[in-house]
Amino acid sequence: MAYGFDRSRFAENKRAVLDKNLGPLVKTIMTRCIHCTRCIRFATEIAGVEELGATGRGEHMEVGTYVEKALSSELSGNIIDICPVGALTSKPYAFVARPWELRKTESIDVMDAVGSNIRVDARGTEVLRVLPRLSEEINEEWIADKSRFACDGLQRQRLDRPYVRRDGKLKPASWSDAFAAIAARLKGVAGDRIAAIVGDLACAESMVALKDLMAALGAPHVDCRQDGAKLAASPRASYLFNTTIAGIERADACLLVGTNPRWEAPIVNARLRKRWLVGGFRAGVIGPQVNLTYKAEYLGAGPQTLAELSAGRLPFADLLRKAERPLLIVGQGALARSDGAAVLGLARRTAVELGLVKDGWNGFNVLHTAAARVGGLDLGLVPGVGGRDVRGILDGATSGDIDVVYLLGADEIDTSRLGRAFVIYQGHHGDAGAQRADVILPGAAYTEKNATYVNTEGRVQRTRLAVFAPGDAREDWKILRALSDALGRRLPYDSLGQVRSRLAAVNAVFAKPDIVVPAAWGEFGAAGAVDAMPFKSPVANFYMTDPISRASVTMAKCTASFVASGTGKTGTHG
Amino acid sequence: MAHSTHDAKQRSRSGQGGRRARSQPKGRQVDPAALAEVQALLGERPRRRDLLIEHLHLIQDRHHCLSAAHLAALAHEMKLALTEVYEVATFYAHFDVVCEGEAPPAPVTIRVCDSLSCELFGADRLLAELTSKYAEGRKVRVVRAPCMGACDRAPVSAVGHDQVMRATVPRVAAAIAASHDGPALKPATDYAAYIAAGGYKLLRDGLDGRRTRDDLIKAVDDAGLRGLGGAGFPTGRKWQLVRKEAAPRLMTVNADEGEPGTFKDRHYLETDPHRFLEGMLIAAWVVEAGDVYIYLRDEYPAIRHMLLAEIAEIEAAGLARDTRVHLRRGAGAYICGEESAMIESIEGKRGLPRHRPPYVAQVGLFGRPTLVQNVETLFWVRDIAERGAAWFAGHGRRGRKGLRSFSVSGRVKDPGVKLAPAGITMRELIDEYCGGMADGQSFKGYLPGGASGGILPASMGDLPLDFGTLEPHGCFVGSHAVVILSDKDDMKAVALNLIRFFEDESCGQCTPCRVGTEKAAKLMAGGRWDQALLDDLGRVMTDASICGLGQAAYNPVRSVFKYFREDLA
Repeated sequence: MAYGFDRSRFAENKRAVLDKNLGPLVKTIMTRCIHCTRCIRFATEIAGVEELGATGRGEHMEVGTYVEKALSSELSGNIIDICPVGALTSKPYAFVARPWELRKTESIDVMDAVGSNIRVDARGTEVLRVLPRLSEEINEEWIADKSRFACDGLQRQRLDRPYVRRDGKLKPASWSDAFAAIAARLKGVAGDRIAAIVGDLACAESMVALKDLMAALGAPHVDCRQDGAKLAASPRASYLFNTTIAGIERADACLLVGTNPRWEAPIVNARLRKRWLVGGFRAGVIGPQVNLTYKAEYLGAGPQTLAELSAGRLPFADLLRKAERPLLIVGQGALARSDGAAVLGLARRTAVELGLVKDGWNGFNVLHTAAARVGGLDLGLVPGVGGRDVRGILDGATSGDIDVVYLLGADEIDTSRLGRAFVIYQGHHGDAGAQRADVILPGAAYTEKNATYVNTEGRVQRTRLAVFAPGDAREDWKILRALSDALGRRLPYDSLGQVRSRLAAVNAVFAKPDIVVPAAWGEFGAAGAVDAMPFKSPVANFYMTDPISRASVTMAKCTASFVASGTGKTGTHG
Repeated sequence: MAHSTHDAKQRSRSGQGGRRARSQPKGRQVDPAALAEVQALLGERPRRRDLLIEHLHLIQDRHHCLSAAHLAALAHEMKLALTEVYEVATFYAHFDVVCEGEAPPAPVTIRVCDSLSCELFGADRLLAELTSKYAEGRKVRVVRAPCMGACDRAPVSAVGHDQVMRATVPRVAAAIAASHDGPALKPATDYAAYIAAGGYKLLRDGLDGRRTRDDLIKAVDDAGLRGLGGAGFPTGRKWQLVRKEAAPRLMTVNADEGEPGTFKDRHYLETDPHRFLEGMLIAAWVVEAGDVYIYLRDEYPAIRHMLLAEIAEIEAAGLARDTRVHLRRGAGAYICGEESAMIESIEGKRGLPRHRPPYVAQVGLFGRPTLVQNVETLFWVRDIAERGAAWFAGHGRRGRKGLRSFSVSGRVKDPGVKLAPAGITMRELIDEYCGGMADGQSFKGYLPGGASGGILPASMGDLPLDFGTLEPHGCFVGSHAVVILSDKDDMKAVALNLIRFFEDESCGQCTPCRVGTEKAAKLMAGGRWDQALLDDLGRVMTDASICGLGQAAYNPVRSVFKYFREDLA
């Protein structure tokens, strides 16, 4: 009897409760529910969607939505983590594996530019689930649904061997064949007819290798801003989220310009909501009019409003001026347009005029959507002297001025404008870039390499290898290093340690992982006229923004249930 | 422009995957017809969140149910999340939520009270007879309901909310045929009569500065007036505590007497409402509360209509010039008699009791310091102030002070509200006030404080009845609702009736109460009672429940084990 009675005294029938449909992400086994209401409180307080509730009284109380067929929040997966009894579980992961079968690897998420700290759980060569890790500075204990559920995309449409296009068709090839094909094509091509575009998921190691290789080839046309954002590589403060994500909690006013943080960075949006809930926080929006889950004053749609605001002609300008710690968050929707540089200059002027930048407080923030972007800018992957940017490269390829284009995981460009150029695609998914490629070099996804990413705050973080890349695919910097050898321009590093020394040599921030070094303020942006065109968020479908999430079945289901095509009637419509 | 086409292409890429076009936005759509109906019903009423329950009543009264379409329309109109509206609507027993595809309930609802006093007088049989009579046809539905506050005239049933006393099948049928809209109740003492007898002079004295607040606090303090809703907290001290908090302060009146066996507040409201209203306005003046919310249970529609008229009179007379009086309507939830649950309900939410501290005197209604008083407590304020503290304190036996209103029901000749001195014993109460036991019945035991106060045997019929005197015996006097039981009554059945009441009325917030009451009812219905198991369960409920409901729910069972072992065989 030392360990107690060996049978339950609960001989009666237990209560049975009908399961609820919470959509494609969360599976419910409501009989287990003990009515702790953590999910309800998470949904209403943190996610800001009042869709879960408890109906009935006493023993008849039940938790459910009763409203929608699904829980329309970008953070809904977190209710799985906070459910203490397993009444809410992960639908895609249900009955897939047992936790003790899994290898757990602490890593970094790259589905947006937030750099949420995650744990990657894998069995064999398969990543089965992604969970958040506690990180008070970044994601607290939450992650967005895309970060959590897109991992099934890592199993599909993978590039697991090199391909070379022969007679108009991509044929499997060996690494040496692929390198030979590239070397043959590059022979005698002048440096200024070669260009490179870097995609959104590229790691810093591969970017520095690409930069060095392009420099060795004498090619000035390198761009890491595949969306065409008019950001320069310096000063560093001009492209960072300078306030830091945790710093949002100290702010007392916020202006959002050309961004829908709910879709571009749900974790940042949750932090803004957290700050708003405390009170004494006013937000204003210039750009898309969406439901951000907190009250935000709609000021206008486009750059004109920003211009008026910076001139102090709107009441909100007074509010910002009087605020002790005001924030300005500029999204890529304001910068990835032809007048982006002028908008950036205008945003800078607004920040200076209205006192957003002062001693001990930098309220100027750029919210990125691509995990690779800040790292790319830190490494200076922007066109050199006489170099072309993304648009220029595509123009050049169309017109025949560019002969060879190297795509480092760049899929979100208009590949039809690559003209007759010879396209080398290095990446991990058979997406748009690979389809157009003449040579495909299979790379590793973020769970398959020890790689460095810099988040939107400028925080250097490292992913860890959780599983090996499939088939012949290799870590990306190694591919570039091997290719450089084949081209006779061997890059001077042979180990990860050496690449990282090289990173630190290019930019000292890479020597200090996991911390945010405050960036010095400076001159940036351009003067000049701005368009009347309203700002648009770069994310039209939260669930599909990159090759991994586009390959994910779960994300496809989410798209079908949450994103109404074309009508804009989504969970975030105003 | 090349650039913009490039942009467009790019966007369509990242947006691909949304192949199925949606014909409409997701979620329940607001039906324009339902919205128009709801708007018409609400009229000019404010759309504030705290009025949600009032608005639900409007729809329920008109349509006899709450359809999904109306709830969606109401949520839209009040700018609330649909879930919030659902949560509230499904919490209260008097709302009938009808989802899509469900048949609406019958237009006429007969509620048969099955609480203890009514059960003693044959509620079971009445329910069975009514159910079989109206089994066919879709016009009438028969449901069981908790105590309706007319235990002295048991069994009680209600057609709609109009009560039929000493109900029989023919009487209920007659009431359905009569089918009227809330009888216009005329109080025994109306405004004119009350004024003629010197009413509201005390209030005017206070408002015009002829009496000070401290004066009044001292009077109720000296009189030893205690909260008569059940907890017995000294009233003067409560006023001082609330006064100490920062303004604005609020006041609420608990007129939600749901404790089975209690009907004294109803008695005072029906006979002399202005004595209560004056007491209320004085208390509001003492604590300087700008708003007073009276939370009246939905079982008393006649009193509600009457109070609305009488309140209008005193407002017209300028007696409430510093105080806005709001009359709020409960919706059939015993738990809302708990002060913090009542406050939640007044705020338009589900009636879930709050954790303490902070006490409602510090953080109460709308987060403000709140004075919560029972109807009867306020009823005595004028008399104490006018006749002097010594008058009130002069009553009482065995060293106890004050007057108490006992709601007596059960096996006595003459049940009803009995105004008796504090500290009276049960035997004295039966013999002096109730004309003795009913014919052919002998005194076996009694409930000293409604459903939650435990059960005492006849051998303990000489204990003084007051706050603090019964606690050593595992019981309490609470709201002074006594139910007298005789040798004809089975104590196991009595305890089971009470625990079933708690099972129905548990709000579901905390597990010990929600699961404990249900489990206890099951164990007790199963025949032999396993004392070790039940006591273990009862202890968990008593120790771990958030509010008094769960803490006291096990009292009757414990009493049966303690005092009525012969019934257990």
